[in-house]
Amino acid sequence: MKSSLIRPAIALALAASLAACGGSDKAEFTVAGSVTGIVYDGLVLTNAGVPLKVAPPATAGTPARFAFPDKLEYGDTYDVKVTTNPAHQNCAPGVPQGGIYANNADTAGRLKTIDIAIVCEINKFTVGGTITGLTGAGLVLANGSTGGTYSAATPATPPSTTPIAYELPVVQFGTTYGVTVSKQPAGQVCTVVNPTGTMGDEPVKNVNVTCVAA
Amino acid sequence: MKSSYLRASAALACAAVLTACGGGDGQLLLGGQISGVTKPGMVLTNNGGSDYEIPVPSNGTGTTTFFFPTRISSDDKYDVQIKSTPTNVDASSCQLLNNKGRAGFDVTTIQIACAFKTQALTGTVSNLKSQLILVNGADRVIVPAGATTFNMARVAQDAPYGVSILANPAGQSCAIANGVGTMGAADVNNVTVTCEP
Repeated sequence: MKSSLIRPAIALALAASLAACGGSDKAEFTVAGSVTGIVYDGLVLTNAGVPLKVAPPATAGTPARFAFPDKLEYGDTYDVKVTTNPAHQNCAPGVPQGGIYANNADTAGRLKTIDIAIVCEINKFTVGGTITGLTGAGLVLANGSTGGTYSAATPATPPSTTPIAYELPVVQFGTTYGVTVSKQPAGQVCTVVNPTGTMGDEPVKNVNVTCVAA
Repeated sequence: MKSSYLRASAALACAAVLTACGGGDGQLLLGGQISGVTKPGMVLTNNGGSDYEIPVPSNGTGTTTFFFPTRISSDDKYDVQIKSTPTNVDASSCQLLNNKGRAGFDVTTIQIACAFKTQALTGTVSNLKSQLILVNGADRVIVPAGATTFNMARVAQDAPYGVSILANPAGQSCAIANGVGTMGAADVNNVTVTCEP
């Protein structure tokens, strides 16, 4: 008697849980995610041709959440792309925390929720120019204490009269640079023109160095 | 009788397998990434031995990947610690991550980050009638009108510095003396800015 009661009870419970899963209400999925590193305005994402503007977060340094208005059903595919970058930045699908691959394109329902990672970085450009008149060995240029150095190759004998183009490591948009002669070449004194500035939207190529006999 | 043979041979087989695994010459890498190496003297140990001095990377960044020359074996316990640091590193700042464990595959995820000792970079200004902006590369300092001293951000030992003028004060032109050098083990406080007229 006892077991005959238990069996129908189990069957009922199973049926109930199945209904909860499959149900008549179709599961809906929101194509959502977060953008990290966004600082400037202008980012536009698209999914299946539908654009979505994403503004920088109110609190700097926090991720900007986004959600496309159209809901997806189980099995629908999505493919979120960056169509317009913010000013001075470059954004691309990134790897979510704990993940291995970018998750901007997938099929709705494969995971419980859709949480796409988009990562933005501020553009960086090199600082450089030309070196004229270098005959001595040992010239080192530096961009402050953290901006890297450039060590000029020992000039050939006789020295070439063609100016040498040089580049220091990249500097982020909006950051200052200040190029100085960290080590003077043997027997010469070099001076820098246009040594300082604030990085804009293209490489700096006018920090020119002229060397003369000491 | 039969079973005792079986047991003995099983024990032998086990021993053989264990030797293959545990032996001295392993096949697995033990390493990861380290920062703060611009001078010789960064020595790491594994399980208190296998001293390994990290070669100084040539790019001047102080950051490099490293692997102990002695390989370890599968299932070996490892415990990587810092034995000594270069003179320009603040040893108390070093942080180690994923430095202990038991090897399953190549260990490449050890993270060691050390900060450099830093020194102050300061100076004096004379005859400054309106705002002056100084930079040491990415470090930007606004010196207000009438100021007689200024402080740049602290600079890591052995790093170059070069204080230059981003924006002269209105109607004035300033010149810098002692603005360029390489930071030693003492603070630099002799950068002199003179403004005219």
